[in-house]
Amino acid sequence: MGGLQKKKFERGSATNYITRNKARKKLQLSLPDFRRLCILKGIYPHEPKHKKKVNKGSTAQRTFYMLKDIRFLMHEPIVGKFRDYKVFVRKLKKAYGKTEWSAVERLRENKPTYKLDHIIKERYPAFIDALRDIDDALCMCFLFSTFARTGKCHVQTIQLCRRLTVEWMNFVIASRGLRKVFLSIKGIYYQAEVMGQLITWLVPYQFAHDHPTDVDYRVMATFTELYTTLLGFVNFRLYHSLNLLYPPKLDGKAMSELKEEDEDDYAMNSECYLEKLSALSASLSRVVSATEEEDAELDQFPVEGMEAREREQKQQEAQKKLFEGLKFYLNREVPRESLAFVIRCFGGEVSWDKSVCIGSKYEVTDETITHHIVDRPNVDKQYINRYYIQPQWVYDCVNAKIRLPVEDYFLGVTLPPHLSPFVEEKEGDYVPPEKLKIMALQRGEKPANEQEEDEEEEEDDDEDDEEEEEEEEDDGGNDEEEETEEQNLKTMQEQSSQGKSLQVKVTPGKVTVENKARLEQEEKAEEKRLAIMMMKRKEKYLFDKIMFGKKRKIREANKLAAKRKAHDDAEKSKKKKARK
Amino acid sequence: MAAAKRLKRVAASQPGFLNLKTTLDSVDSSSSRRKRVNKNKKKNWNKHSDINDVEDFLEDVRHQERTTGGLLSEKSDDSLFFLDVGKPEKAEQKEEVVVGKKRRGKTSRPLRIDLILQHDSLVPPAKDVLAYQQPNAKKLRRIAQKAEQLAAKGIVTRRQKRLANRQPLDRKAKKSVTEANNNPARDYYDIWGQESKDSSDPWYLQQTGKKLVKRPEKLNDKPSVLPAVEVIAPGGSYNPDFFSHQALLQEAHAVEVQKQKEEDRIERQLAVNQDDKATEDTILKEQVEGLVVEENDEETAPNEEEDDVAVGAIVLAEKKTERQRKREKADKMKEQQRHSERQQINQQQQLFQLRSIKASIKQQEEKTNQKQKLRKANQEAQKSQPRRLGKLKFKPQDLEVQLSNELAGSLRRLKPEGSVLKDRFKSLQKRNLIEPRERAKFKRRHKLKYVEKRAFREIT
Repeated sequence: MGGLQKKKFERGSATNYITRNKARKKLQLSLPDFRRLCILKGIYPHEPKHKKKVNKGSTAQRTFYMLKDIRFLMHEPIVGKFRDYKVFVRKLKKAYGKTEWSAVERLRENKPTYKLDHIIKERYPAFIDALRDIDDALCMCFLFSTFARTGKCHVQTIQLCRRLTVEWMNFVIASRGLRKVFLSIKGIYYQAEVMGQLITWLVPYQFAHDHPTDVDYRVMATFTELYTTLLGFVNFRLYHSLNLLYPPKLDGKAMSELKEEDEDDYAMNSECYLEKLSALSASLSRVVSATEEEDAELDQFPVEGMEAREREQKQQEAQKKLFEGLKFYLNREVPRESLAFVIRCFGGEVSWDKSVCIGSKYEVTDETITHHIVDRPNVDKQYINRYYIQPQWVYDCVNAKIRLPVEDYFLGVTLPPHLSPFVEEKEGDYVPPEKLKIMALQRGEKPANEQEEDEEEEEDDDEDDEEEEEEEEDDGGNDEEEETEEQNLKTMQEQSSQGKSLQVKVTPGKVTVENKARLEQEEKAEEKRLAIMMMKRKEKYLFDKIMFGKKRKIREANKLAAKRKAHDDAEKSKKKKARK
Repeated sequence: MAAAKRLKRVAASQPGFLNLKTTLDSVDSSSSRRKRVNKNKKKNWNKHSDINDVEDFLEDVRHQERTTGGLLSEKSDDSLFFLDVGKPEKAEQKEEVVVGKKRRGKTSRPLRIDLILQHDSLVPPAKDVLAYQQPNAKKLRRIAQKAEQLAAKGIVTRRQKRLANRQPLDRKAKKSVTEANNNPARDYYDIWGQESKDSSDPWYLQQTGKKLVKRPEKLNDKPSVLPAVEVIAPGGSYNPDFFSHQALLQEAHAVEVQKQKEEDRIERQLAVNQDDKATEDTILKEQVEGLVVEENDEETAPNEEEDDVAVGAIVLAEKKTERQRKREKADKMKEQQRHSERQQINQQQQLFQLRSIKASIKQQEEKTNQKQKLRKANQEAQKSQPRRLGKLKFKPQDLEVQLSNELAGSLRRLKPEGSVLKDRFKSLQKRNLIEPRERAKFKRRHKLKYVEKRAFREIT
């Protein structure tokens, strides 16, 4: 019966964790400093599996950290800086108390500061790691850059955030990377593709701030401190990847264009440059001149799935040139920065009133303007050779990846709903009819309601079509493409019946091709049926279950569609009544 | 000198001479007694003639010269006295003066304190000889001469060379060190492109604490699988599709209903139970408590029981007899045998139950498998859940929703809902990056003491 008695809580999980207070004492830091250090170094609290064991028998709720993490923190050079800062504050207080102003000045001059560069390098060893984590940084910087300079945080931080966000937006414009925009009630969501990474960020509307009281500003400021450093380095790298100068310089030509105006009215000389950059109207200057871009075509190798990729690429290229050749003019009531950013991202030209912001390129009176963006019921003086449209058109075009017909977005017209581009419908989900319309447009079909007179009838037709389609799906037709083809045929028939001039050139060769495809599809369907028949009982059960789930979903979607139709009908009848 | 002395003596002999030390004369007169001495020798003159009065007088004259700047008797009365005509008159006079030329008067007139402290003795201060001497003057002179000679020859000394070669003080370097982290004009560089340049000995770097400790790989894992930016549901569009908007409203409604339920539940638990309320009966009982005498039986009965228990604890078990022991042993043996036999039979029987046993095992395995799967799924789901990291639980943000009548038709009239700052903060909490906390409450260290102001107290 020899041996020492085992003591409790001296091995196992109890020794792997450390409470927050103990960690704080170990590092000899105050709680705010400790919190700041943890945020900067990326060390987060941990919830142990067996809390009671870790907590030495107590069940009180505590914040735990891994002991090894805290040991790692002890090597951080910034810890020393924090201690220095504490001493600095103490000395400063004393000097103030004694009214020794020269001492105060001397201390101020030697204020201890620290850099986070090495932490960035440590936390993100490769550039791609940093790029993956940039979402947070962007959100935070955009948020802080909209803050009023009222002392909630340092003015310098706000300025730095503004500078970094402007640089980022200029980069996205230069790389034409924007993919999706969503105007929500909270703010504007953007999604861009940068070096193959999808990056989403949220920008608050301007002047939308009430400062919530239950948010810890100190914590947020610490995160921002880290993220400004990160975003700066990422910006540098991204600019260099496009052969752009960093810090960004406006193009010489653009610069001279902008210079003639009386700049002094807008900003002081020191701020003028950033203001011009943030106007987003001029392009940036490159290290190598922009003319020799990569025009050389890539070598093509026959690889499976290449075609689909190519098609996608083509689509993307087309999307990038969405607004090329269009000239926009922004009225003063529309959100300038957002619209300028989006329009420039897709190659459009944009200008605004001189008194709204620096950097406007042309006047309202310019005859070459194609689109005038207005957000009020009517405009006094209208030019005949341009469209007057509401701002939603721009955003909807970006999300639909095509130029949508402008009729729905004219002044005073009730806008179609702004759909979220971040929703991806699976097969059998309910798809709102507006989206269906857009999808049809994307496929290259002409919009069914060209004539406004029999708009109602046609809409009805459309909906009938959808219903049929869904019914077919309900029957278990798995081949969608067939249906779409059928739909194509139907629409063609309709158009022909309406007496439209169609290009009716049916060559025999084409017919055979179609037949081939159909045969193939039939074969596939047959194979599938056979495969289902050959299934084991267990698999068959699973398969049936899946199919049942799908059908149920479709049924629900149908129900929703029917509801929508009823709703629309009701609205229509109401309108009619109102008309009468 | 002699003339001056004589003049002083003359002055002193005059009746108007003022003596600073007035007490001296009286002391002398009281203590003097005539003494006879020969005065035919000069030595005796010196020894026995009383020259104290003269000495004192001269001392006094010198003292006056030293301190007051001349003999007091020669001074005019105006410089010694002034007419005290009372306060108010003077103040008025002064005011008039002040109003007239406030600035000029102040600048031209020296302070009174300076006037008082001014040096006004007639005796010049003693000359400080040391002030005119330079230490090591000879040596320095020689060095200077030598330097001149060398300069004339065109020779530059080593010391001068070193001075000339010294680099100017670097002021800029110091400034770059103290640049703040949030300086809006700070510059960035390619942090990922360049490799560490210092090629010094790694051992040296490690020992001097210049080498950074390698970050453990595990720390780069994110504590949650949730994305950094969660996009709002399609119903949150500023101009939403009807159905998605309804769906979002439904969701928000469900949350609200849940909250209401919780509140109701608590209310119900806190409500007073009707049975616990005091009725007239119970009130009466309480009032009469102790007044009515009860029977003694109830009181005595428990006492007896207690006694019994106390005795029972002490009573020892009776000793078993040999026979009893033997019987018990045999019984035990028999029981064991029976048990083992029963087991054997059972095992034999199990041979015939093989099928059902197999089935049961299979069932059990299936069950464990299912449980495993469930647990795995739970663990996966847990990864996206906020963990309990501190005293407080994570509370999700209220859903941002605009009712149908709040929706703006156009972008211009849009009223933003919720706060992005709060959304970000909650997102950080949800992803387990920071623990949920409450705002620290202000705690007063000392109690406030209320005192009525005197002005206020006088009124009341």
